[in-house]
Amino acid sequence: MSARTRPKVAVLGAGNWGTTIAQMIARNGHPVTLWCRRANQAREINSHHTNKKYLPGIKLSKKIRATHKLREAVAEVPLLLFIVPTKSFRQVCAAAGDVLTPEQFVVHGSKGFEVGTRYRMSEILRQETCVKQLGVLSGPNIAPEIAQGKPAGTVIASPFPRVIEATIEVLSSDRFNLYTGDDVAGVEIAGALKNVVAIASGVAGELELGENARSLLITRGMSEIRRIGATLGANPATFAGVAGLGDLIVTCASPVSRNNRVGRALARGEKLPEIVKALGMVAEGVNTARVAHEMIAERSIDAPIFEAVYRVVHEGESPISALQTLMSLEPKPDVD
Amino acid sequence: MRKEHEDAIRSEVISRVFDRRLAEARRPEGRPLNELINETLYHERERLRQNGGSLDPEVEKAFYGRIRRALPKANSAREKELLRSILERYVDEITGHFSPVVYGVATRALPFALTGMLSGLSPLKMATKLGKLPSIEDRIVVQGEVDLVRKLDSQGTVVFAPTHSSNLDSVIMGYTIYRLGLPPVTYGAGLNLFSNSVIGFFMRNLGAYTVDRRKTDPLYRELLKEYAGITLEFGNNNLFFPGGTRCRSNLIETKLKKGLLGTTVSAYLHNLRNGKSRPRIFVVPCTISYPLVLEASTLINDHFQRAGRSRYIIEDDEFSQLRRWFDFLKGLMGLEQRICVSFGEPMDPFGNRVDERGDSLDPKGRLLDPSRYLMVDGEYELDPVRDAEYTRDLANRVADGFLCNNVIFSTHLLALAMLHLLRARAPEVDLYRFLRTVGPETSVAQREVEEHLGCLLKRLQELAGEGRVRLDEVLATGDVRNVLRDGLRSFGTYHTAAVVRRQGIRLHAGDANLIVYYANRLHGYGLDALATPAHRGS
Repeated sequence: MSARTRPKVAVLGAGNWGTTIAQMIARNGHPVTLWCRRANQAREINSHHTNKKYLPGIKLSKKIRATHKLREAVAEVPLLLFIVPTKSFRQVCAAAGDVLTPEQFVVHGSKGFEVGTRYRMSEILRQETCVKQLGVLSGPNIAPEIAQGKPAGTVIASPFPRVIEATIEVLSSDRFNLYTGDDVAGVEIAGALKNVVAIASGVAGELELGENARSLLITRGMSEIRRIGATLGANPATFAGVAGLGDLIVTCASPVSRNNRVGRALARGEKLPEIVKALGMVAEGVNTARVAHEMIAERSIDAPIFEAVYRVVHEGESPISALQTLMSLEPKPDVD
Repeated sequence: MRKEHEDAIRSEVISRVFDRRLAEARRPEGRPLNELINETLYHERERLRQNGGSLDPEVEKAFYGRIRRALPKANSAREKELLRSILERYVDEITGHFSPVVYGVATRALPFALTGMLSGLSPLKMATKLGKLPSIEDRIVVQGEVDLVRKLDSQGTVVFAPTHSSNLDSVIMGYTIYRLGLPPVTYGAGLNLFSNSVIGFFMRNLGAYTVDRRKTDPLYRELLKEYAGITLEFGNNNLFFPGGTRCRSNLIETKLKKGLLGTTVSAYLHNLRNGKSRPRIFVVPCTISYPLVLEASTLINDHFQRAGRSRYIIEDDEFSQLRRWFDFLKGLMGLEQRICVSFGEPMDPFGNRVDERGDSLDPKGRLLDPSRYLMVDGEYELDPVRDAEYTRDLANRVADGFLCNNVIFSTHLLALAMLHLLRARAPEVDLYRFLRTVGPETSVAQREVEEHLGCLLKRLQELAGEGRVRLDEVLATGDVRNVLRDGLRSFGTYHTAAVVRRQGIRLHAGDANLIVYYANRLHGYGLDALATPAHRGS
């Protein structure tokens, strides 16, 4: 590929969000490389311009060129967007680390902590690669809606203004607003933790607890997220923004959200392994519930909703019993 | 620093700051020169009014008087002249008059001078008895990445970044660097340090330039930073204390100043742009560990009295009292105590490890080209916001290096054991109230201390095995009784009241402030988790 035609941007990860991001970039007129783990998926995207498994019914732009060769996708591309599940994030970083060079920018859009180590994704990037000019993309982004061209927005956070500018240049459009910030840790924590509250919201929806209960869940859930985030060094104000409250509302409200679906299935009495299998995609909230539980225990943080979700997801407590525990809490101040 | 370098550095510093200020003044919303000069006049007048730091106040007053009178009538050309004259004056004050000849003499004389002060001999008598005197040389133990640092010296320019607990630090670093056969370092030393005539002499001739901390003029600060950066560009190894002033609490410094550390990035960039043959700059974190600190009492008292608002400059501490020096050195030599200088892993200005060829390595040990961190569209470009982020990374890595290379002495461990046991009696009491309640009668059973020492020591040995801390040889043996004996002996020598003393089968707290001070050196290793009674098995 000559320098003239080499894309300025590549997206790693061709799940529904990665593919949607590539599609947005392409719609903005930029050629973009999309790295897929499987060769047949890359072939489908290149020959049929579809990604049926993850974005059924969406015709992809011809400006998207898919490859399953990581080296080819990463080498000498100024801006890389890592949109891979947290489970395989380290592995992808380690492989990309063989090719990455210090002048490249990496922005990731993976919401969750690493199981076992509890590292945030930007921390893993720093541990596995030489790249320092990093950012995170996170917000209320239900991929299929955006792929259909519905309006949305997100946060790009980075302490490096050039990383922010480069991301805005390829992603911003009249259908997609970008908001900026420098609190990478806050945005990552908000994006990860909201998935746990989303599971609770799914449970509440399935049990038909009503809109009042959902609102209570969102606001009290937000308080818990902010409390956990603050102890981890995030700026508490971040949680009131698009990547915090914005993302939490959509994840809790939308029945399409994966974590919400996990919650609904749990409330129907289904077992976790079957739920995950039936979903066919990763629901980050399941792992995050465990990570959050460990953090809460270690730091003695007051977070009853998170604890209830953990018990339901990982200890097999019935959703009804967890709900009863939550509703029998002692009165306490609304605002910390 | 060679003489021709000194002149070239001087004019480069002046012209860079001058050009930057001029460019700023020319921008539409930029700051005009007369405003800048007025700011200098204001800050300097305030300083002179308090007569702070001025070696010759009359001359200074006359100088600023001339500027003040000339400024209102000055046209643009004259304003430039006035600015230049201020910059020249500042730089002359900063520049050390380094002489390689005197450097050689000074470094060779230093151990003898310290030894002489110890023995109270006149220089004449000393000369006749030199061979028989114990030497300070044996008291400074240098360890860590010494060989790597030596190799790097020929690959680029080295910045030594030590912890800062005593005014002795710069002398000890200067001497250590000399003994390793490395070229002299350039470093900034507070004007107040030159007031100790013996040390002042060595400071100046070990490569120190003057930093007047009482000068609040931002232009002066800018010039100082530029000076350090340009000496780096000229290939002079530097000594930065990234913690800034001496650490009052004796905690291992974690919040490091980014200003001086940041000059490594800009100097590297200038070197690349100017096509220097050895453009690389390496940063070496160093931890200087003392079993006893000369100025401990003054520093910790300052820390507590003004918690959070400590005096930036302390003039009346032990450092300026020859008698205290004498006691300190006597303790050091008589008890065969050691001061440890541990060199941590050297890194590039971006916080990446470097190998012995000076090549940077990523976290997984793969080679990388550090110059590419500074590239924008194929060009080396200065970007203050980006570079400040790089420096933040570097500072974090330096702080990690401090912690891993900290040498723990029996004094630290004994102080921590005492502190844990005393505080466990009333855990709800805050530190300040606790300090007030501890008196000479406050004591702990020796057996209890020994038990807890054993528990702490076990954990420390594990940490040392993982390379997360270093232990002095007394601790390395793992013999608790030996640690206790050594700690008590050291605590009984130098400080006015024994910090911890034995009376029968009980250990008494002689000075609670100093117990906290020495225990603080062990902060950051998670040892407080062992302070609970459950862990101690009681």
